[in-house]
This record gives sequence, C-alpha cells and structure tokens, in this order.
Amino acid sequence: MASMWKEFSKGLWAEIPPFRVVLGLCPTLAVTKNAENGLGMGLAVIFVLVLSNALISLVRKLIPKKVRIVCFIAIAATLVVAIELLMQAYTYPLYQQLGIFVPLIVVNCIILGRAEAFAAKNPVHLAIADGLGMGLGFTLSLTFLGALRELLGTGALFGRSVMWEGFKPFTIMVEAPGAFIALGGLLALMNCISIVSARRAGKEVPVNAGGGCGLGCCGTNQ
Amino acid sequence: MTQQNNTLAEIRPRFVVDTPPFMHRGCTVGGMMRDMLIALAPAAAAAIWHYGLPAVRVMALAAGVCVLTQALWEKLLGRSSRVFDGSALVTGLLLAFLLPAGAPWWLVATGAALTMLLGRELFGGLGCNPLCPPLVGWAALTVSWPVHMDPTAMNLGSSLIDPLIRMKYFGWTALPEGSELALALGGQLGGLGSTQVAALLLGGLFLLARKVVRWEIPAAFLAGVLALGSLFWLFGETMGVNPANCPPPHLYLLTGSTLFAAFFLATDHASSPVAIAGMFGYGLLAGCMTVLIRIFGIYPDGAPFAVLLAALTAPLLDLIRPQPFGGKRSQ
Repeated sequence: MASMWKEFSKGLWAEIPPFRVVLGLCPTLAVTKNAENGLGMGLAVIFVLVLSNALISLVRKLIPKKVRIVCFIAIAATLVVAIELLMQAYTYPLYQQLGIFVPLIVVNCIILGRAEAFAAKNPVHLAIADGLGMGLGFTLSLTFLGALRELLGTGALFGRSVMWEGFKPFTIMVEAPGAFIALGGLLALMNCISIVSARRAGKEVPVNAGGGCGLGCCGTNQ
Repeated sequence: MTQQNNTLAEIRPRFVVDTPPFMHRGCTVGGMMRDMLIALAPAAAAAIWHYGLPAVRVMALAAGVCVLTQALWEKLLGRSSRVFDGSALVTGLLLAFLLPAGAPWWLVATGAALTMLLGRELFGGLGCNPLCPPLVGWAALTVSWPVHMDPTAMNLGSSLIDPLIRMKYFGWTALPEGSELALALGGQLGGLGSTQVAALLLGGLFLLARKVVRWEIPAAFLAGVLALGSLFWLFGETMGVNPANCPPPHLYLLTGSTLFAAFFLATDHASSPVAIAGMFGYGLLAGCMTVLIRIFGIYPDGAPFAVLLAALTAPLLDLIRPQPFGGKRSQ
C-alpha cells in the first residue's frame, strides 16, 4: 500500500507533468484556452493513461522487446479511439472544442513515456497508481494553466465572469503567444520554488534546473 | 583551507594573464543612456508641441512605471540595484513613443510593466533580452487592446489624419496634395513620438555621430525599405498588386514609425547581430518586412513587427561571423 501511495503521489508534485518532466507540451499549449477545456483534456488523458498502464503492465512479459513500442502505441490507440467515441456520445461540445487534440493523445509523450519507463517494468497495481497520479497531475496542471489564461484573457472562470466591472481582458493570454508566456512563467515559478525549498532544506541548489537559457548566450555552444 | 589560500596568494605571479579588455575608454551604460535621452529629446519636444500635456502624461507614466518595475524586481530578487544607469528610463520613453497620446493610464502602466518584466528582466536584465523590450510591451498591448492602441480612436479631438490608415484603405493618392512637409514635421496621428519624423532623424544622426549605434543597421533598414518600396511602386501593377497600395518609396519613410524603428528600435544592442554581415542582413530583412506588412498585412504600420521578426533571426545571423585572424575556416 505504501509503495502504491508513493507511485501515486509522485505525479502530484515531485514529477508533475508537464511542468517537471516537460512532456506532452502540444496539448498543454493548444487546449488550455480555458479551464474547462484543460479539465476535459486532463480527464481524457487520465482514462487513457490508467488503462494503458494497466494493460501494458498485464502483458509486459508477453511483449517481445524489439516490438514493444508498436505494442504500446497499438494499446494507446485503441483506448484513444474508445475515449473519442465516448466523448462524441456524451460530451459532444467539449469534443468539438478539443478537436484534433483528442486523437493526438495517442502520440502524447506522457502515455508512451509512462508505458516505457514504468508500466513495462512494474506489476499492475503499481502501474495503475502511477497512471492515476500522473494523469491527475496532468489534469491539475492543465486546469490551472487554463484557469490562469481564461481569467486574464477573458476575465472569467469556467465560463462565469469573475472580474470586476470595467475589467479590460488581457486578450493575448488566450491567443497562441499567451500559452507560451503562461507556460514559461509557471516553469520559472516551479524552478524558483524548488530552488528555495532546496536551499531551506540545506541541499545542493540545482543550477539551471530546466536546461540552458536556450539562446546560446551562455557560452556553452560557442 | 585558509592556509592553502594564503600560500596561493603568496605565490601569485607579478604579471597576471587575464582576458580583455585591458583598457577602459570610460564609456558607461549611464553615459550611453544620457546620449539616448539627448537623441530622444527633439522628438519628445515635437510630441509635446503636437499633443500637449497628454503626451507628457504618457511619457512620464511609462518611464516612471518602467523604473519602478525594475527597482521592485531587483529588490525582490535581492540583486544590486541598477536602476540609476537610466536604461529603464530610456526603455520607458521608447515605449511611450509608440503609444497614442490619448492612451488610458492602465494601458500605459501595463505596457511599461510588461516591457520591463517580459521584455527584459525575465531574461536576465539589460543586455540579455532576445527582443527589443519596448516592442515586446507594444506587441502585447496591440494584440490585447487594439481599440485602445488605435491612434485615431484615442485622439478624437485632433484635426490630424492617420496617413497609414488612409493609404491602406483609400490608396496613397488619398493623402492631401503636398503634405510631405507636414508629415515630416510630425503632422500625423500615430505613436506620439514615433511619427515625429524630422526630429527623430535629428536624434538618429546624433546617435550615429556619438557612435552609440552602428550605421550599418539603420542604413540597411532604410535601403531595404526604399529598394522594395521602389520595386512595388514601379512594378507593382505588373506583379498584380493594386497600384493604390504601392506608394512612392519616400512615403514609407515619412509615415508611421519607420525612422523610429530604423534608428532606435532595430539598433537595440542586445537583440541585433554583432557582426557586420549579420547587421546588413538584419537591417535589410526588417526594412523589406516593413514594406511587405504595409502592403499585404492587416496592421497598417509594419515597422515594429518587422523589427521583432528580424530580431528573431539575429541568433542565426550571428553565425555569419568573420574568420579569426590566421585561423582556418572550420568545416
């Protein structure tokens, strides 16, 4: 039980996608125009991730090593088609909003990443806990990002207006550049928090936790 | 540990091998910013002449919020304060020059804060910005609040015209006959300082004379504008472009913020290329993009977006660099 809790809880903060692992950025940037879309996308990913982790873990000893990626993708694709049909049947407006990004869950790096890194090596109960934790972390992140962008960009939360009268919405936040600004800001904030908490705990401070500055101005690639 | 340090200090050689620079000419960031302020002064005066106190209000607010943002940010991060080098003041003024004189206070304040934070401080402060900071703030404002950034809507009481809108929707022949002199003296609606063409030219030449900016970038920028502008003016009709949208090349310089972009925005030291070939490429690209956006784009004034786009190519253009003396070209 303790090990299940450990695998579950690591997805909520220590390795929360997409901020810590920086995977699955395509849906993160594209569908977080509002909190509702983020939540819907996250729930779809939970469904696929938990079931694909469970199935892959079940058949992990039957899959030949050479063709494992194909098998993982086949399982994920089956589940994605299932969730796509379910969404068409029960949440059609949300399905229309998310558009191409529902079928694209197949190639979401988090699904394949968890399958390869965790489910293929661990028993079923741990794989389910891992999938649930990672999926929940992804949902929380997407909902938070969507809520932030919706709040600043339209002055509403889950479609309800919450800002004061005369608030002029900061429209760029719901446009494409706003996704990058919000994601970059949140990544910087997460790194800042981990640096401060590492310093508090007296541990070594991680330098450049999120990689280089990306501009080639740090003198490493001259 | 202490003992080891002592030993090292004792055996330190008399002649230290160090990296350049070995001599300092006495130039400081503060001195450079003072030159920038002097160069901006004629255009600021012209803006006050045309728009009166509202122009003063926008300039003071933008510069004040920029300085305040930098001071607070450095306080928050526990960095040593560099507010007094004047760079925040200049950045704020450059942003104010791009805004309409009647802009509401919250627009100016948001733009100034975004300019400093998003444009500069998040990337590490002065000299680390990948894009020209005032343009980052300006672009965020233009995309978010197009109505409040529209010079015509914000200066309803003014008798001046916005030549860019007129050229875009009614063709360049709709401009009043012989209006070139008035346009050059800033008799047009637009950003409050960025359209003071003659005053900006004066300031730009001062910057060149003081060698605050290199001549390559403005020259290439203006050459790009004039070359592509002439091309469309002469052969636009044969290329299938409506000739009413292809004004004579000098009108590109006299309207909107072309000269401001050429002398003050494109020459931003951190976001422009460092090698000469790169500077020419960067200036030409920005100049050509200005013409293309004005003819084919949805935004009437292409110059600020053109400079932003060119700045994105600056890291690539920096790969074109001179061969080291005596070195071989690496394959």
